[in-house]
Amino acid sequence: MGFLTSPKWIDVENWPISWEIGGTSWFPFLESIHVIAAAFVVGSILMVDLRLLGIAAVKYSISTLSKELVPWTWGAFVIATITGLGMFITRAASHVVNPAFQWKIALLALAGINMAYFHFRVYKNIAQWDDAAPTPIQLKIVGSLSLLLWSGVMLAGRWIGHII
Amino acid sequence: MPDFFTSIGTLLDGSFLQSGALWALSTIPGFPPIIQTVHILGIAVVMGSVVLLDLRILGLAVPSQKISEMTNRLMPWLWWALASNLISGAFFLFGRPLRYFNNPVFGWKVSFLIPAVLLTLFFHVMSKRQESYWESSSKRLWSARGIALLSIFLWIMVAMAGRWIAYAEYIYYPA
Repeated sequence: MGFLTSPKWIDVENWPISWEIGGTSWFPFLESIHVIAAAFVVGSILMVDLRLLGIAAVKYSISTLSKELVPWTWGAFVIATITGLGMFITRAASHVVNPAFQWKIALLALAGINMAYFHFRVYKNIAQWDDAAPTPIQLKIVGSLSLLLWSGVMLAGRWIGHII
Repeated sequence: MPDFFTSIGTLLDGSFLQSGALWALSTIPGFPPIIQTVHILGIAVVMGSVVLLDLRILGLAVPSQKISEMTNRLMPWLWWALASNLISGAFFLFGRPLRYFNNPVFGWKVSFLIPAVLLTLFFHVMSKRQESYWESSSKRLWSARGIALLSIFLWIMVAMAGRWIAYAEYIYYPA
């Protein structure tokens, strides 16, 4: 019995809270909050990505821009995660074997790695490029990857509903 | 639902626009989720432009960015995103016009969208007419704060109603 096909996922679906969400208007309510929060996550990241590409907000230093947006991105991410988990538990067993869901989790992980690489590696040399208007290639790669990965997360996330 | 509104649905139903949209939605592999994602990416730009600007006006976000500078820089992104959402949304609207124009939740979405667009347009136009218009007096700044609060509410409701359209369909079209 594999991890993804474990009957434990069925138990999750049978939690009283899962039934409560799945059988009431709680589900569409959580879903609409999820979409708004996710749009906010991507919208705020998009602004930083476009700055990394040297396309937008070039008047602002990269550190100021990202420092001021990060709390909002994380706040929205927490809301998206909570509402997402709320929806997940109503159909846990089907979601874990849903290819779109699996893609979404994988792309989320890659987007996280890309962000971590930016913050822990690239950020060390911040003094060299913080105010740069045509940005160095390394930043352009990180920014483009972020744009692609987050769009992919959205696409996979939206695709979940077409498979389930 | 007002008659003129539902009659738009009747007009579109069976037209070449419907057949074109249905052809694209059913023939191109993955077209529905791809177009929906384009639509949500547009909403992401709405959040990252006008909603972020509203949060800035309310003193809650990005303190080092200036209101007038943000308005001039972000509004073009918003208008392009809305144009894109009009196109991506049209595929679904044209595909099943009766389901949208008879759906009260779609009616709500439009009723939130129109004032949201007009309010944002008004804010943008005034800001273009005069440099730092909304920051030039404390009275104007307070007006801007009122507008920002209303604007956040309207844009969130547009997105919220948009998501509920599909759920309302089950109520109004149980088949």
